[in-house]
Amino acid sequence: MMDRRNAIRNVALLVGGAFSAPTLMAMNHWEDNLKASPAAFALSDNQKLIVAEVAEIIIPKTNTPGAKDVGVPDFVVMMIQDCYRKPEHISFAEGLADLENKKFLSLSSSQKSEILKQVESNSVEQMKVYQVQQTKMGDNDDREQMKEQAKGLPFWRLIKELTLLGYYTSEQGLKSSFDYVPIPGKLEMTKLKPNQKSFAY
Amino acid sequence: MNLNLKVDKTHRYDAIVVGSGMTGGMAAKELTEKGLQVLMIERGREVKHIEDYDTAMKGPWEFQHRGKISIHSAEEYWANSRFGNLANEETGEFFTDDKKNPYIEKRPFDWIRAYHTGGKSMHWGRQSYRFNKNDFEANAKEGIAIDWPIRYEDLEPWYTHVEKFVGISGQKENLEVLPDGHFLPAMPMSAPELYFKEQMMKKLNRPITIGRVANLTKPQPWHTELGRASCQYRSKCSRGCPYGAYYSSLSGSIPAARKTNKLTVLHDTIASEIIFDEKTQKATGVRVVNQKTLAVEEYFAKIIFLNAGSMNSAALLLNSKSNRFPTGFGNDSDQVGRNIMDHHLGVGANATVEGFEDDYIFGQRPNALYIPKFRNWGTDKRDYLRGFGYQGGASRSDWKRGITTDGFGATFKEDMTKPGSWVMGFGGFGEVLPNPENRMYLDKDKKDPYGIPMIVFDAAFGENEIAMRKDMMNAAVEMLEVAGFKNVAGFNRQDTHLGLGIHDMGTARMGKDPKTSVLNKFNQVHAAKNVFVTDGAAMVSSSCVNPSITYMAMTARAANHAVEELKKQNL
Ligand SMILES: Cc1cc2nc3c(=O)[nH]c(=O)nc-3n(C[C@H](O)[C@H](O)[C@H](O)COP(=O)(O)OP(=O)(O)OC[C@H]3O[C@@H](n4cnc5c(N)ncnc54)[C@H](O)[C@@H]3O)c2cc1C
Ligand code: SF4
Repeated sequence: MMDRRNAIRNVALLVGGAFSAPTLMAMNHWEDNLKASPAAFALSDNQKLIVAEVAEIIIPKTNTPGAKDVGVPDFVVMMIQDCYRKPEHISFAEGLADLENKKFLSLSSSQKSEILKQVESNSVEQMKVYQVQQTKMGDNDDREQMKEQAKGLPFWRLIKELTLLGYYTSEQGLKSSFDYVPIPGKLEMTKLKPNQKSFAY
Repeated sequence: MNLNLKVDKTHRYDAIVVGSGMTGGMAAKELTEKGLQVLMIERGREVKHIEDYDTAMKGPWEFQHRGKISIHSAEEYWANSRFGNLANEETGEFFTDDKKNPYIEKRPFDWIRAYHTGGKSMHWGRQSYRFNKNDFEANAKEGIAIDWPIRYEDLEPWYTHVEKFVGISGQKENLEVLPDGHFLPAMPMSAPELYFKEQMMKKLNRPITIGRVANLTKPQPWHTELGRASCQYRSKCSRGCPYGAYYSSLSGSIPAARKTNKLTVLHDTIASEIIFDEKTQKATGVRVVNQKTLAVEEYFAKIIFLNAGSMNSAALLLNSKSNRFPTGFGNDSDQVGRNIMDHHLGVGANATVEGFEDDYIFGQRPNALYIPKFRNWGTDKRDYLRGFGYQGGASRSDWKRGITTDGFGATFKEDMTKPGSWVMGFGGFGEVLPNPENRMYLDKDKKDPYGIPMIVFDAAFGENEIAMRKDMMNAAVEMLEVAGFKNVAGFNRQDTHLGLGIHDMGTARMGKDPKTSVLNKFNQVHAAKNVFVTDGAAMVSSSCVNPSITYMAMTARAANHAVEELKKQNL
């Protein structure tokens, strides 16, 4: 659960929302036998449509651009491919297969929302299991056992995290959502004005 | 004696400095300013200050993976990535490709390296604290390892000397546990941090200060002279600072050394051996391997400063064998490569802070709060030795809180554009005791791609560190609870090893007795006094404070001694 860009900043991030570390990312380099083979992760056109639809439901177009407008769907797929290993490839594909089975794309928008709410609450349970595995990382005795159980982060967690990342760090998404200050020039403790947007740097 | 000898074509200099990082830069600055012709040998590529900070001004969208590390990079930078996201697209180019520079782990060792101009001074968190008096006395008092051959007073003037040059922002607190230094104006604390500080003083009698950090809050003439400007509060320091506002060898010591016109720098040049002259019983120079062509050359000088980073400096000693030193240069005591220390981290606690809803911050503070050591201090006694300090602070959560909270859709999207609640957290840096069984050595058979024996690490945390970690977590939880914060959660990562604290040290310790130590009180190799080791290798104990300012103070002191001795013709 640690995105340890630097030890200090990391600490503050944890409670306020942390990126996930892909399963086994931090394991000893000679032991990870779970690397994705390049061909292992490929989505059908229909699955790509589902990714786009789910991303757009998470960040819909309002008076500011939506997830699709800023290229989030392709970003999500690229990230799963490039930044995650087999366990996440499997769990992501499983999540998509589940939505395909439910004929997600042909449902009404309120039905889609209902289903995603269900997916969201299920994944809270799955995340608990995942965290237990994480704390066991580095423990020699459990390693063998852990490998066999190794299961990727749940689909919902992946798609939500990557949608938010892809959207709020895209040029349009960032500039339309926040007060972008690339060079603050000073450091000041201030008072928040009513309805003030967050600064982004 | 004339110290201004012209550099001739026979590779002769007054001094050779191995490494251009935090300590090498300082050595080069001090030695050139005192009139010596210096050759700096750097194994990595050249990075030009400002010009080569390619990512410094990029927007988040300009990074393909938006700051996350790809699996490909994680494999390429397999050791770096144990730290987390270090080698991502924002900074990756500035870390060492571990696949191309392999090492062997008999026991796991998290070795974070940066081979290029400036070394790790480019990436450091800039936290700068003096060791206190007790740090130099604890070994002797407790019967641990050996005594330091110096005391706080020996280093005191040199702390001031380097702090002034570096530019450290901080607050004087008049604490014995955390001696004040020469400070630029302190950075402000946020409202919840001020509240926390007040609560800790009132309820636990525990002082908290703003981090002492090498970012220029108010540049002085000697800073601006080198082209360094005031901090712009972007907190993107690890990409390299286009304003030269934080201290690195690139922004500070190397430009200062260049101004003397006495510095020559070789890049892509790996120092592989120290050349020893049996007749004079002195080192005469350094043998190097060109990283690109693998060509071997020799360079000569009257004095040699090893500043390759503690593990590489020790490796260089171990690889320099002669009749006089069959087991490595200056290794009569068999202590070269032993006593690896670091600071252990990855332990602390987080909480959410209620209230302060209309308080906010403009700008990004490249700094945190510091909670000085309070265990085994004064009347406090624990069942383990030494202690730890915490770094951390409060911030308002941003859109990333959406990752771990439920919800999606238009309202959720709108919510994420507003600052969320305050969160507060701390992580500890704990002192690691010296232990001769924690060591690195050179593999008998395996060589790296440059024909130099590979380093083997065989080290691990001991019982003292493990006991301390439990207390480190519990004490952090206690503080956040005492302050009345909510959702307090401790953490104690189990997957960290020595090295991850990025403060590796101890592999060529100083001491009074040549039988039990490698260096004397001026960082000279006991048996060959014209070789100085002034990086972390020299450390006898680790304290719990970030060590680089101490390394730099030691370097300046040793350089001063070296030049005095040269003048007296003692070297
Ligand atoms: C992410 C991070 C955060 C940090 N935060 C802090 C902090 O807040 N406060 C603090 O005090 N410290 C901090 N540090 C530690 C700090 O960076 C080091 O203590 C410091 O850089 C050590 O200085 P050095 O000169 O010994 O080594 P380095 O700065 O690493 O320099 C060594 C140089 O020698 C070169 N070299 C190595 N071997 C050879 C060879 N054989 N021949 C030629 N050249 C060679 C290397 O390429 C490198 O350039 C941090 C480190 C990291 C990575
Ligand atoms: S925070 Fe200051 S020192 Fe760091 S990159 Fe920005 S301007 Fe430079």
